[in-house]
Amino acid sequence: MSLEYAQNDWYAVGFTGDMSDGTERQSALLGRKITVGGPGHSPWVRDENGADLPVQVRYNHVWTAIGPEPRRLFDIAEADEPDRRFVPCGAVKVLCSPLRAVENFLDIAHFPFVHTDILGAEPHTEVSPYRVEIREDVDEVWATQIGFYQPQAAKSATEAITTKYEYRVPAPTSAVLYKTCPPRPEAWDVIAIFVQPFDEDVCVVWPWMALIDETTAYGDLVHFQQEIFLQDRSILENQIPARLPLDPKMEIPTRSDLTSVVYRRWLKRKGAFYGALTHAA
Amino acid sequence: MTTYPVGLARDLPNGRVMRAGVDGVDMVVWRDSRGTLAAWGNRCPHRGMRLSHGFVRGDRLACLYHGWQYDASGQCRYIPAHPDLNPPESIRTVSYHAAETGGVIWVSLSEGPEPPEMPADFEPLRTVFVTASEAAVTAAASRTGLEGPPAKETAPGVFDIARRRIILFCNPAGPERTEVHSLIEPGASSEEKRLASRWCEAVRRTAEASERAAA
Repeated sequence: MSLEYAQNDWYAVGFTGDMSDGTERQSALLGRKITVGGPGHSPWVRDENGADLPVQVRYNHVWTAIGPEPRRLFDIAEADEPDRRFVPCGAVKVLCSPLRAVENFLDIAHFPFVHTDILGAEPHTEVSPYRVEIREDVDEVWATQIGFYQPQAAKSATEAITTKYEYRVPAPTSAVLYKTCPPRPEAWDVIAIFVQPFDEDVCVVWPWMALIDETTAYGDLVHFQQEIFLQDRSILENQIPARLPLDPKMEIPTRSDLTSVVYRRWLKRKGAFYGALTHAA
Repeated sequence: MTTYPVGLARDLPNGRVMRAGVDGVDMVVWRDSRGTLAAWGNRCPHRGMRLSHGFVRGDRLACLYHGWQYDASGQCRYIPAHPDLNPPESIRTVSYHAAETGGVIWVSLSEGPEPPEMPADFEPLRTVFVTASEAAVTAAASRTGLEGPPAKETAPGVFDIARRRIILFCNPAGPERTEVHSLIEPGASSEEKRLASRWCEAVRRTAEASERAAA
């Protein structure tokens, strides 16, 4: 489908922490082969012809773009707060459209069934009404006023709580979640996913967190998040079709899917069709 | 109109779910807690999740993704995110036809299944998955013996081997992929069943070897 919109976005293609001088890793972006090299503080990315692609380091990841006029990479303000811990969680390769991966991240109704006894549990399955809007000034999708009962909302949670959530989609293949921070309920933990489209049917998800949690060991935080994403992968690789259908006739949403409905509408409006199906198959 | 054998009834107990491939169609076949069979397109109409990963609750199949529940007719009856909502009639799975006769589960894409005539009381033996066409399997069966002369096909799909009759039902699950469900005539001893089971394995090897040789 259309590369036109997609090629001018920035994509995470590596994690700075596992790159040193001499590191060289084969990867792919938007159907093209790329090579990512280190060191992490001054990385490089080359296309299949060996030409340098633009690079920036942000949110502990290496970002690149292949189009001539990349849009500005979105800001996550919490990335500049000194009291936060920044936790890149590695990479999870998933055989699905990058857009399906983002949509799943925006969904809370699956928690009791896919992340059972962690992010949700029966009989607490009800999704209360929440707000979703396209914020025209920043061209982002925002879902707010979400609350959900969670047995273990985070590694730092000691008991079940009703977690508050806000979701933000600043680019078609990135999403940011702000959720109640169990040790400090007045603050938000930040969990983001940066999705690298290998092509329209294969992607790598780079989860990243900016947490207020001074006690949990780094390995435990990563493990907690990896477990969640592996559970999601078992769903994402079994959705048919693999690409995200934008034709409303192909899938039936309900009220709890409002974020997904607006996300699809926003993609359609922008012409962000890479990884999407625009017509019924 | 074609009727396909998708499994031995014994291998799908009440309350269980299986995936089946029929003429290129990805399907879920399941049985509710009272034994009622259903066969649908393997896709939840909500977000496209394969229903073969789902689970049975009473007389409904629930999708693993969001727990949406469907009754045996394919009608959505419950959406856990909205427990008080009565799901609209438009939310239904794509339903096919399923029936059980002679220890085999049969599915057809259009009208009611018409399973072939078969001798009564045959006992389920086993299912073998073969990477070869149905024609290669049938050809292999009449060329394969057990330390003796090859099996003799006495009626379509019925083979005499090890002093017993074995019926093979083939489901062309995909290109070069055949599921072979076998039954053995009543009264076979456990030793005879063991031999018959070995013969089914031998048929698989012969069919796959002939397909490789032809390729």
